[in-house]
Amino acid sequence: MKSNFYKVIKIVILSLLFSSCSSDLDFGQIDDLKLEPAFLANLAHFDIPANKLIDDGGNHVIDDSRGFDVFKDKFFNDHLKKAEFNFEFENTIDRAFVVSLELLDANGQVLQTLTFPIPAYRGTANVIKFPTEVFENQRLDLLKKTIKIGFKVAIFEGTPLNNQSLGGLKLKSSATAYLIIG
Amino acid sequence: MKKIYLIICLIFQLSCFSQNKEILYNFTSIPQSLMVNPGADVSYKYYFGFPVLSGISANLGSSSFTAYDLFANNGVDFNQKVRNVVNQSTNRDKVVTNQQLEVFSGGFRIGGRESKSYISFGLYQEFDFFMFVPKDLAILALDGNINYIGKSFNLGDLSMKAEVLSVWHVGFHKKVNEKFVYGGRAKIYSSGANATSTKNSGYIYTGQSSTDPNLYNQIISSDLELKTSGLSKFTKDEYEGNVVKDIANNTFLSGSLGLGVDAGFTYYIKDNLQLTASIIDLGFIKQSKDIETLTYKGTYKYDGVNPDFTGNDAPEDIFDEFDKAIPRDTLYNKYTTWRPTKFYSSIQYSFGEARPDDECNCRGKINTYYKNAVGAQLFAMSAPREPLFALTAFYKRSIFRKLEAKATYTFDTFSNKNIGLGLAGTVGAVNIYALFGNVLEYKDLSKASSATFQLGINFVFQDRDD
Repeated sequence: MKSNFYKVIKIVILSLLFSSCSSDLDFGQIDDLKLEPAFLANLAHFDIPANKLIDDGGNHVIDDSRGFDVFKDKFFNDHLKKAEFNFEFENTIDRAFVVSLELLDANGQVLQTLTFPIPAYRGTANVIKFPTEVFENQRLDLLKKTIKIGFKVAIFEGTPLNNQSLGGLKLKSSATAYLIIG
Repeated sequence: MKKIYLIICLIFQLSCFSQNKEILYNFTSIPQSLMVNPGADVSYKYYFGFPVLSGISANLGSSSFTAYDLFANNGVDFNQKVRNVVNQSTNRDKVVTNQQLEVFSGGFRIGGRESKSYISFGLYQEFDFFMFVPKDLAILALDGNINYIGKSFNLGDLSMKAEVLSVWHVGFHKKVNEKFVYGGRAKIYSSGANATSTKNSGYIYTGQSSTDPNLYNQIISSDLELKTSGLSKFTKDEYEGNVVKDIANNTFLSGSLGLGVDAGFTYYIKDNLQLTASIIDLGFIKQSKDIETLTYKGTYKYDGVNPDFTGNDAPEDIFDEFDKAIPRDTLYNKYTTWRPTKFYSSIQYSFGEARPDDECNCRGKINTYYKNAVGAQLFAMSAPREPLFALTAFYKRSIFRKLEAKATYTFDTFSNKNIGLGLAGTVGAVNIYALFGNVLEYKDLSKASSATFQLGINFVFQDRDD
């Protein structure tokens, strides 16, 4: 009786253990985990109506600067491997412009300047998309020091603008951040 | 090398299912069947479990992927495998684990020789883990939003809970007459560590519209909450202890306390037709030790930088604005967690009457028993969002008077061809049992979507003439 009992137990357990196996697994692969997400986000935008640019028709410059502190985030800063900026202007004012964006560091020093010449509006669609600005390697390192963006809009001579003037200068822009984590 | 992987695989499984113990349920030659129905028709003069070896059980289940899918050594790039697993999963797929280890257990009959009232008691340790696959967040981490303009990433996909606890329990069951057995068990829970994050909502959205002043319409709306107890000290920089030791210490000696009950019955409709039902772990834990709740609540619309050339110079900083809009708050409120409550029920038809062939019938009293039983069991368990269900058909057979086997076929979330096999035998006073769920998948554990087992050794003493 007892020996029968043990026999059955033995057979069942041994057959389970021996028939049980596992495919070749490699848990070390977890070290190979590398996340490479790319995030698309707004960068900067403005809309300057002509009737706010009242002048006598001569050259002049308006400017403003704004904080841009995304690189304060250490995780983002450490894992950002490449960035791309895209700029799109629409000018419906009968004046030519040069818009420049200055990337400024903590001391207010200009790290890089991006310049965008924009022709005057001549009654036809005037949307200008500029080639993608790519930031990699050294250029990316400079970008990461940015904590402020200075905007300068140089207005070239032409028809004087008053509070009845129509049209405006618009900027829409985006940034794509390529991260590598792991 | 393969052996090491197998061991890791087993540990991975130990540390990874639903708590259905369909083979153990109503397997009354095993005293531990009282743990899944305190009103099971179990009888003994007294018994005690072999310390630490009386009840070892582990369940793991993953409804959408297996260890093989992720870790197969097949030359496929690991990142591609992760991507495949994420793609084949939905946010309804879950990964569930339960592990239990009896530290000690025992029981004795109370009242005289003719009494049919029993006490049972013990201490066991339990680990529970439950998580839905956070699909949207996984996509965001793998790919970012670049190819998903117009998609709203659901933060509600994040839903998980985990707990390590010890359970002190004492139960009572009574066979009122030949037809009816009832029982109940009181439990004191001591939770060493708990993490609960089940009530999340919100979204991360990037849309595009030509009428917008901006290129994209970007909104993060977040209502995230993670409650922890017994864990916050490990996240502090100055912590220098041993995490495993400290959690064990908390679990057994100074955990957050809770109370619960089990209840159940067995009713013989006819001599060979039996109905049972039980409810297990109807209880709560008041999480009160080393508690910390983290929240991220708020809505943030990201517009990028917006210069104002009219001299209106309100300073704004993206980072600070975000922090203000969706602040990280830490709260220290006590909170209550409900134990995953289990419900079992079974109906069993027995046939093949037999006389014990291994005992002499000296007293003229004939104790016949049925060699075979077939039936069905239902299992349900409370879980975040919706309960889990399983339906089991079973066949039980006495190979000898004191060696019983049970085979089960279970349909549940994880598998629709889960065959379980169990064997329990008693020689002298030694009671040994081994129950294996999903045996078809034991031929390659790494490809198993779920696996369960329960093993144990007890010493059971009956009256001599039993």
